[in-house]
Amino acid sequence: MSGIDAVKKIVETEAQARRIVDEASAKAQQMISETREQAERIRQEAIARAQQRREEILREAKEKAEAEARQSDKETEQILDTYGKLSEERKAAAVSKAVELILNA
Amino acid sequence: MSESLEKLQNRILSDAKHKSDETVKDAQAKSQQILEDAKQRAQRESQEIIAKANVEAESIRRSILSSKVRVNRLRILDEKNRIVQDIIHGVEDRLSSISKSEQFEETAQRLVTEAVKAVDSDHPVVRIGFRDVSKRNLDGISRVFPKGGKLVIDEKPIDGLGGVVATDHEGKVVFNNTFKSRLERLDNQLLTLISSTVFGG
Repeated sequence: MSGIDAVKKIVETEAQARRIVDEASAKAQQMISETREQAERIRQEAIARAQQRREEILREAKEKAEAEARQSDKETEQILDTYGKLSEERKAAAVSKAVELILNA
Repeated sequence: MSESLEKLQNRILSDAKHKSDETVKDAQAKSQQILEDAKQRAQRESQEIIAKANVEAESIRRSILSSKVRVNRLRILDEKNRIVQDIIHGVEDRLSSISKSEQFEETAQRLVTEAVKAVDSDHPVVRIGFRDVSKRNLDGISRVFPKGGKLVIDEKPIDGLGGVVATDHEGKVVFNNTFKSRLERLDNQLLTLISSTVFGG
């Protein structure tokens, strides 16, 4: 093999080596790029799940508070009803006691 | 020559392969790190969203409940107040028509005695006025009235409900012993008494 042929062989081999390295580099960049996309999808999916959970938490809180508010209304109605009955039963006694207080104090 | 050339070629290719493997290996490690970071970040952001949601939920709950509780407390207070005012009107009715009761003479005498004592004058002026009361109904007053005093009988009930107003002879010292004044003076005791009688406690 002549010297020129040998140089040619080396030049070809180096070109082949560059291709191997370039291909690996491109593959690596592609891999990282795809991973970044996958990472963003993972993040977006997690945030979407959290947002959904947030809506549930808020809805549950509102429903629970409204149920407690209805209970408060019910208890208030009972108290008002009791006051009405007490007033009817005890009004005369209260008037008499108050009149005695005003007259004799 | 040929053998060493082949070795050189193999060496070049081997170096390239090694570099290529390292590049891919680095990329895999970096990808792994990117995924880990993304998962941690996603978890952190999710936890923040949930934590904020819990705070917001408590705020919504408080807002709904506190306004409802406030409204209901006011309804209860209004009703208690209405009942107490109704009873006070009953008391005023009874007091304004006291002249029809057996207690009248004794009550009028007591009101006059208290008023005269309060102005502490040898010549008190006592104005007296109840609904449906004439001079005849007030004969008993003369028994408790000081000799130097002057009794003025109003045809109408003083202050609306009736009662007695005493002054010294110069009009400087005034003691208002009308039912309306007594109601005002005893306001706190009256409300406590009515409240405890009707609502207990």
